[in-house]
Amino acid sequence: MTETTSRLISRATAEDFLFAEAALLEAGEFTAWLALFEPGGRYQIPTTDAPADAMPESTQFFIADDWDLLQARVTRLLSKNAHAENPRSKTHRMITNVRVGPADNAAGDDAQRVQAAFVIHRIRDGRIDQYLGRFDHIVAVSEAGLHYRLRKSILAAEQLRPGGRLSFIV
Amino acid sequence: MTVIDEPNLESIGGTPVRVRGSEPMIDENRDTNTFRVNRSALRDPDVFSLEQERIWGHNWLYLGHESEVATPGDFKVRSLGGRPLIFCRDESSEIQVFLNSCPHRGTALCREEAGNARFFRCFYHAWTFNTAGELIALPGPEGYPEGDDFRDRLSLRSVPQFESLRGFVFINFDEHAGPLREHLGNAADYIEMVADHSSVGMEVLPGTQRYTVWGNWKLTVENAMDGYHFAPTHITFLEYLKRTGYVTSDEGGRNVRLDNGHSVLLLTGHSGRAGMQWEPRFGEEERLRIEANRAELTERLGPERTAKIADVSRILFVFPNLILFDIEALSIRRLEPTAADRTDVDAWELAPMDETPAARAMRNRVLVSFIGPGGLATPDDIEAYEAIQRGIIATANDPRPGVDWSDISRGMIHDDQMVGRSTDEGGIRHFWRHWNATLYGKDPS
Repeated sequence: MTETTSRLISRATAEDFLFAEAALLEAGEFTAWLALFEPGGRYQIPTTDAPADAMPESTQFFIADDWDLLQARVTRLLSKNAHAENPRSKTHRMITNVRVGPADNAAGDDAQRVQAAFVIHRIRDGRIDQYLGRFDHIVAVSEAGLHYRLRKSILAAEQLRPGGRLSFIV
Repeated sequence: MTVIDEPNLESIGGTPVRVRGSEPMIDENRDTNTFRVNRSALRDPDVFSLEQERIWGHNWLYLGHESEVATPGDFKVRSLGGRPLIFCRDESSEIQVFLNSCPHRGTALCREEAGNARFFRCFYHAWTFNTAGELIALPGPEGYPEGDDFRDRLSLRSVPQFESLRGFVFINFDEHAGPLREHLGNAADYIEMVADHSSVGMEVLPGTQRYTVWGNWKLTVENAMDGYHFAPTHITFLEYLKRTGYVTSDEGGRNVRLDNGHSVLLLTGHSGRAGMQWEPRFGEEERLRIEANRAELTERLGPERTAKIADVSRILFVFPNLILFDIEALSIRRLEPTAADRTDVDAWELAPMDETPAARAMRNRVLVSFIGPGGLATPDDIEAYEAIQRGIIATANDPRPGVDWSDISRGMIHDDQMVGRSTDEGGIRHFWRHWNATLYGKDPS
């Protein structure tokens, strides 16, 4: 534990990573966004009433992409035929309360936990919908930088309302 | 939304169009095989109010599944027809459904969304009820009339009627309504087919997909009974399936119109059903499990019913608020309209209780990749409801004949039979006819 802790990335490093990601997503650069994951990376959004320790194998999530589905999601987002995102949602992302900590042993020796709070506004169809929540990511740290092993967004709302879709990346 | 409109009352031929509020909003011509719906049915707040009164006030409504309150004391608070209800299992293991309002002064009694409780205590004056609804503690009883009478009169108010079919719990706000079975009619068997998946029972998984769509609830019903939209709307999902080696086809798909406005899509061109029909992306372990499962089904139910349950994907609509998907996996979708242009959707995943963790994980992956507001397909359906809701503002109050109407004529030539192609709009017309009869007291057919 101490050894891992001594090698923790700085909060500024984690922030730079999250902020750069937000810029890519705001710009719709989904191919570059996918490159923020390591091969085999996953993307999850639990349902709003899922227990805190819920796993997508036994609980219904909103999104539980493995690497295969995550690639399919990006392919879809790049297609003109992803009707829910054509035209694309404009998003405005605020990220704060960033914390870095050691990851669970099971996540791997090179893994660290990055948590943050987010407010994402989605602008489309004459409405501005607010999505609140926190990130609870596992990142792999290597000489090549940070890469998502698990990118997890936990919504704070009791239900997906008023914005009822997750067709864009949260 | 502030658009209040009057429908254009001039007919394009066939049945004369009638005045809103007292007469039907559909215009059907059996000679020319044309069917259209006035768009104010999707827009008008008065129609919404009338629906709440005449449909939600008198029909059997899907509430939840018994497995969601599996042990005595388990409860869920959920709204139907705008009324907050407590859905619980009492100490004797009986299902109870109460209005979530203290009989004393009306306080929302249960302020948690879900949990397990031995009793419900109103925080305001500490009146306390057990899970069977009896008033068991009344602080300062000396101020009240003596005897049990008073207490009995102030027990928790149940919904007027609730009944269960194989674990699926429905309620009715009309104490004089006929029994559930009468309402379900021949749709009941399609619910039973889902219940028959397992010999030990079915359970709802934790994790509810709760979301709001900015569209009239009837658009979600139309969408579920509409095999015509599948190919163009879900291009990206179909492309993904193709890449994984999975092929779907509309070939042989049927729509069957059932009693009381219910209908079902029977899809034979979609193979790959968790626990029922194998496909390569499921893997070898699942192949063996499916073999064993089908042997068990055949033993229990016979080969004919097994084929009916296992080999056909089904999307069942039970008027007015339940859509039951028995496709790659099982999903229960409940509609709760909250305004003319807004619908709350709850989607639960159902699975056999005795499933192995590996099979459960595979089922979850298959379902969530497709269904729900974050899936690869449902967001495009949501886009359709919302785009319609925005689009029909354009035609509101247009005095020209036919402009403020949506066309639902596809495949109408088959409407003299109860079975049509899944890619036709027969199920949608069937729904609208029943909606019309329920709302305006007349069945034009």
